[in-house]
Amino acid sequence: MWYEASLSEAPLQMADTTVRSETSESDYNADSITVLKGLEGVRKRPGMYIGDTDDGTGLHHMVYEVVDNAVDEHLAGHCDHIDVTIHIDDSVTVSDNGRGIPVDMHPTEKVPAAQIVMTALHAGAKFSQDSYKVSGGLHGVGVSAVNALSDWLKLEIRRDGKVYYQEYERGAPATEFKAIGVTDRRGGTKITFHPDSTIFKNVTQFSYEQLSQKLRELAYLNSGLTIAIRDERTDRHQEFLFAGGIASFVADLNTNKTVINSEVIAFSDVRDGITVDIAMQWNDGYSEQVTCFTNTIKNRDGGTHLTGFRQALTRSCNTYATNTKLLKDSLGGEDLREGLIAVISVKVPDPKYSNQAKDKLVSSEVATAVSAVVTEKLQQYLERHPKDAKQIIGKASLAAKAREAARKAREMVQRKGALEMTSLPGKLADCQERDPSKCELFIVEGESAGGSAKQGRDRAFQAILPLRGKILNVEKARFDKMLASQEIATLITALGTSVGDEKDFDKLRYHRIIVMTDADVDGSHIRTLLLTFFFRHFNELFERGHIYIAQPPLYKIKKGKTELYLKNEQALEDYLLAAVCHDTRVVGQRGGVEATITGDELAAFIRLVNQSRKMRLQLDKHGDGRVSGAFAEVGLKPDDLRDQAKLEDAIVRVKAELTARHGELGGLEFELRQDPEHGTWTARAPSGLYGVRRETIISFEVASSPEYHELRRFMSDLRKALEGPFRVIAKGDADDGGATAGSADEVAIIVEELGRKGLQIQRYKGLGEMNAEQLWETTMDPEQRNLLQVRVDDVVEADQIFTVLMGDLVEPRREFIEDNALNVRNLDV
Amino acid sequence: MTATSRSQLKCPTCRGPVEAAAGRRTKVFPFCSSRCQLIDLGRWIDEEFRISEPADQAGGGAESVNPGGDRE
Repeated sequence: MWYEASLSEAPLQMADTTVRSETSESDYNADSITVLKGLEGVRKRPGMYIGDTDDGTGLHHMVYEVVDNAVDEHLAGHCDHIDVTIHIDDSVTVSDNGRGIPVDMHPTEKVPAAQIVMTALHAGAKFSQDSYKVSGGLHGVGVSAVNALSDWLKLEIRRDGKVYYQEYERGAPATEFKAIGVTDRRGGTKITFHPDSTIFKNVTQFSYEQLSQKLRELAYLNSGLTIAIRDERTDRHQEFLFAGGIASFVADLNTNKTVINSEVIAFSDVRDGITVDIAMQWNDGYSEQVTCFTNTIKNRDGGTHLTGFRQALTRSCNTYATNTKLLKDSLGGEDLREGLIAVISVKVPDPKYSNQAKDKLVSSEVATAVSAVVTEKLQQYLERHPKDAKQIIGKASLAAKAREAARKAREMVQRKGALEMTSLPGKLADCQERDPSKCELFIVEGESAGGSAKQGRDRAFQAILPLRGKILNVEKARFDKMLASQEIATLITALGTSVGDEKDFDKLRYHRIIVMTDADVDGSHIRTLLLTFFFRHFNELFERGHIYIAQPPLYKIKKGKTELYLKNEQALEDYLLAAVCHDTRVVGQRGGVEATITGDELAAFIRLVNQSRKMRLQLDKHGDGRVSGAFAEVGLKPDDLRDQAKLEDAIVRVKAELTARHGELGGLEFELRQDPEHGTWTARAPSGLYGVRRETIISFEVASSPEYHELRRFMSDLRKALEGPFRVIAKGDADDGGATAGSADEVAIIVEELGRKGLQIQRYKGLGEMNAEQLWETTMDPEQRNLLQVRVDDVVEADQIFTVLMGDLVEPRREFIEDNALNVRNLDV
Repeated sequence: MTATSRSQLKCPTCRGPVEAAAGRRTKVFPFCSSRCQLIDLGRWIDEEFRISEPADQAGGGAESVNPGGDRE
């Protein structure tokens, strides 16, 4: 602000200095003595004017003060280049290509205007020190303060083709101000000063980093202005020129970050004489970085411009999100500011600050102006860039969720943290052992099963946590099963590791965590939920092999006084067959000769029959499974369909087979057609006639299906093993006696009936049907039980399973559960 | 389940990519960040994770409606 003390200069273009220059004329005229006293004051109390003289703050402010005056020349439209040079003796030169300080004579003072600028502490005499603190502060005290605090200063001015020169010592002129030469270069001011070492202590050397950082900021704030810095002590140098202004600033701050909105949002407007410049861009980080400037001075603690910006940001984004129905709930300001990099620069005629370091702007009218500009411009931007807007709102809503989740998690952890070990959840029946590697935790579905488990367990090392799934009926249309949040809290407490950032697996209280649920659909759902929860929040448990699934039996067999538990259908079938097949013989034909099978051979035969029965059920999806099954049984191959004669031959045998087995059904008639797509014939039996359940078409497609192929293979194996007619000779029957059977199916039925004779078979529907003793014997006793360790080696596969299970779409999830999840083997990969 | 390449691993919360080189899982696995893991935990606490089935299949009808409470 070279011209503040200038008496003859026309009103300045820069708004803030205009205000002052109007009053300065009479003030400086009136009392120049106090002005000089002011400079003495600067040397007496330098901290008041330039900042701390001990820690380097004041030292560097000396440079900023001079540079700021040059920047004002730029703002006035007369300067586009500033050079800052640090010399080897820690003196500094600041030169600009502005108009040069006025050199004309002061009418009353009888000294050149430039000398007044250098020696008069502008307005210093006028205001009390209290008001100085607010309005003046470090900057704007004028270059005279720098002069006063320098042991020497050299001033060189180019103006109107002449070069003027003067030297000062500690603020007082040491030489006369005079023209020393001529120049054809444009105007400019060059000041070289050396900070007075009797004033600045401790830190006496300029920091290149500190200066270049500040100059870089100034270059951002003044687009089109080149600021060059050179350090002659090290020969480091840089030149700053940012055509993009503060938008470049924001873009540079986001270098190497993943940005949310691809282009920096930048806008600028004037409200009530206040110029508002804002640039902003979100990155995917979590921290907010908003840098505020007033008249190019950084306000470390923000202030009213920041307040206005924040209010408008929150309001604009929420308005937009509501109007576009992106969100139901409104977003909090802090959520919207997560990952936000912004620069706010305001130009205010008469700014007020909370302290003299200008750390915080307090001019209330600035909040209004900034808020108005942001509201208008940001709203416009969002409406014109819906894609970016969606990204920004999406990020903020994630932030809101995370904040809320963090709060809940903290509450949950704290609630239990206060209680710790002494008050484990009331539902937990803990074990006596304290060595985690020996301890087992049974997570048991249902209260009653939990009760049995508590009674049946070995309390020395087995803990029981009963858990019940919560079920809600939603809109009367569906049932939603979930883990109640209370159950989740209980679970986390029981595990002892805590959750989230505080998670510590060394505190795990049990090294075997055994999920014990009913063998029904509800049970498998609870188990899925539990495993998913563990997978997502205690993944290490899987990695360390701590997760197990109990395998309660599905059947109890009682024969006389012996009892036996069997875990599933397959085990039951195996058991039934093993016992009966040793005492039973089946007589049939093999290659036209009478043959007998018994023992393992008979068991294998019965299994084949059962498998073929299942395949025939599968064939039902292609019409009447009995009919298509018969074609498989007579051995019709897909290729046979190319030959009409072979198909007709097969039909004859099929009819005979169906007559033998199902009577009337054998009377059905087939309509033959050609299938040009496959070059084959198809046989079609219409629905309804002769008891055909559904229209059945034997096509190339059906004959090539896996179920048809499998059935054909089973039937072929069966025929190789034994062909009818059969006789089933049970234990105690005469060799030529026994029951006769026409088909292999009948043989299987007779044999299985024999197997069940004298047995009491009980099917457990739930854990609750077992008493404590049974539960211990079958499922909990380490000597007898059968635990399935859940390993998730293929993390991608596991993730997919769980993601589909827990996804948002109900339908695919349901299908998926039916197809996969009930089968724990999928997790046990 | 078809075999899938590791590159397909997605964060359950944000669907972004998850780092999981063979045999090495991050502390926040299967999530991309502790932020996303936290959000997920919040959803468990809010009981948002549910397995649904039509009312007729669950063995209960519209009569057994007990919104907000447990079904015995």
